[in-house]
Amino acid sequence: MELFAQDLVNGILAGGIFAVVALGFSLVWGIMNIINLAHGAYIMMGAYTSYVLFSTWHLDPFLSLPLAFGLLYFFGYGVQRFVINYVVRAPLLTPFLLTFGLSLLIVNVALFIFHGDTKGITTQYSGSNISIGTVTIAWTKLWTLVVALIITTGMQAFLTASRTGRAIRAMALDIDAAQLAGVRVSHLYAVVYGLGAGLAGAAGVLISLSYSLQPSMGDPFVITAFVCCVLGGLGTVQGALVGGLLYGVLEAFGSQYVGTGLQDAVALVVLLLVLIIRPRGILGKATA
Amino acid sequence: MGGLSGNATALRVTVAILILLAFVPLLHSGYDENLGRSVLMFATLSFGWNILGGYTGYVSFGNVVFFGIGTYTSAALWQHWHQQSIPLAIGCAVVVAVAFAIVLGIPILRLRGHYFAIATLGIALATEEIVANIDWLGAGSGQAVRPLEAFSSYYFAMWAVCAASMLVTYLITRSKLGYAFVAIRENEEAAAVLGVDATRYKVIAWAISAAMAAAAGAVFAGANGFIDPPTAFATDDNVFPIVMALLGGVGTVAGPLIGALILTAINETLWSHFPQIHTLFFGAVIVLVVLFLPRGLLWLMNTRGGWRGVVAAFGAYRL
Repeated sequence: MELFAQDLVNGILAGGIFAVVALGFSLVWGIMNIINLAHGAYIMMGAYTSYVLFSTWHLDPFLSLPLAFGLLYFFGYGVQRFVINYVVRAPLLTPFLLTFGLSLLIVNVALFIFHGDTKGITTQYSGSNISIGTVTIAWTKLWTLVVALIITTGMQAFLTASRTGRAIRAMALDIDAAQLAGVRVSHLYAVVYGLGAGLAGAAGVLISLSYSLQPSMGDPFVITAFVCCVLGGLGTVQGALVGGLLYGVLEAFGSQYVGTGLQDAVALVVLLLVLIIRPRGILGKATA
Repeated sequence: MGGLSGNATALRVTVAILILLAFVPLLHSGYDENLGRSVLMFATLSFGWNILGGYTGYVSFGNVVFFGIGTYTSAALWQHWHQQSIPLAIGCAVVVAVAFAIVLGIPILRLRGHYFAIATLGIALATEEIVANIDWLGAGSGQAVRPLEAFSSYYFAMWAVCAASMLVTYLITRSKLGYAFVAIRENEEAAAVLGVDATRYKVIAWAISAAMAAAAGAVFAGANGFIDPPTAFATDDNVFPIVMALLGGVGTVAGPLIGALILTAINETLWSHFPQIHTLFFGAVIVLVVLFLPRGLLWLMNTRGGWRGVVAAFGAYRL
């Protein structure tokens, strides 16, 4: 029972990160129908931004988070505006492979600059814990979850309340009608992709606090993001949050009760079952 | 000719290249032979991917799973029964892979588009992880496979597998089967209304696809002499064949072999001149192919209107 409670808490704490990882991926996929295989590369870029700022100026990763978000936003905006927009109407294989190529490119530039050895960030509060009953919680992970919840809430507020957010949602519903109503589609596509990359960067900063860094660190998170989107339902903030938390718990129990080498296989089996039984996800609408 | 088979001239040229490739081991052994076998292997994998991805329009991102099954079948035959025969290995690999494809295909092929692509990627990753935990298959540390004395047999076997894959693709495009596949690609609902049993044909396409990849894997295992999960389920073997089909021309008979020749040549040149950053260049090659040749080289040959038509084709998918 103690083990069960600890696993549940660990799963939820990890799930906060997964929710942020999934959020950007879900926006890009849900609004533009692009599976962004470069998402992991942006996560890596965010993590390395945090690492460079920490090792040069001892800037706390939580403070470098907005910087990483901004940097990756502009990078992503440029990538969509000047590269992906040129093939965005092609059959799905084309954008799929394009983002895969971009990912290879970015990861290998990082490999060239930072080399392949693993790096890590150790802050003053890295080792400290709090205990509630028999359950131990690392401070870093708790704050990570809090920040993850702030980011998802902020994103939800942006999409529902702001003018740009409403334009984005209009575009997702009917791109031609939105264009007729004066929405600048090529600009907004770039904004959405920029937000996706920015959120990936923010997730990367959060990841840099509890995982070690190396240039291909982001790749497994692409599958994680996909599984979370499918679990929770595509293109909504709540879907990403529910999917992320659920995936975190699933992975924690998977490594405890099935075997540490097999937690990815467990997650993927669940993914396949969900895809076959309820393809629109837990919170998804009937006509997804 | 023409129709589903693609450009007739391109097809003749490709057949000529394939025939020339058969003589490589007689003229050059060692490096050139290995390189030639690698071209043939990638071409076979690309033919396999093209059956499902090119003709029925179901983009698989995990076809390497069948290649992996083929390599492991071959490895298990040597490890547990001391069988080195190549035809036996190919035969067993094809049977295992087709069985796997049918069992998984019936639920998986209900998914479409991105969902199908990621589900197949998930299958490849999960299978790799599961194989890495099976002691009978050598678990994470892999298995040795003893190669035959007459090493060039692997080259000729790979050539035969590649030629057979191309022939099968050609025959499919000349038969009712090919039209059923393309009908599913163009509009699955309409095809179903017209009496095409979509599920059945999709499973057939996937099984053929699987058989080709598994046969290539069975030959590769013997030639490589060693198999472990990262070798059997390599990302390169998963993605290169797709880029090759795209470069040559998705849904054409000649495309995969042309793509495999060009991309293997580029990859090999990059590797020998810039070993440190060759993956970086390969990423750039993928981006350039996708941006400037989203419909492949063979499609350009059919473009009407001279250079204006070609220039217009580049912007066809702009937002």
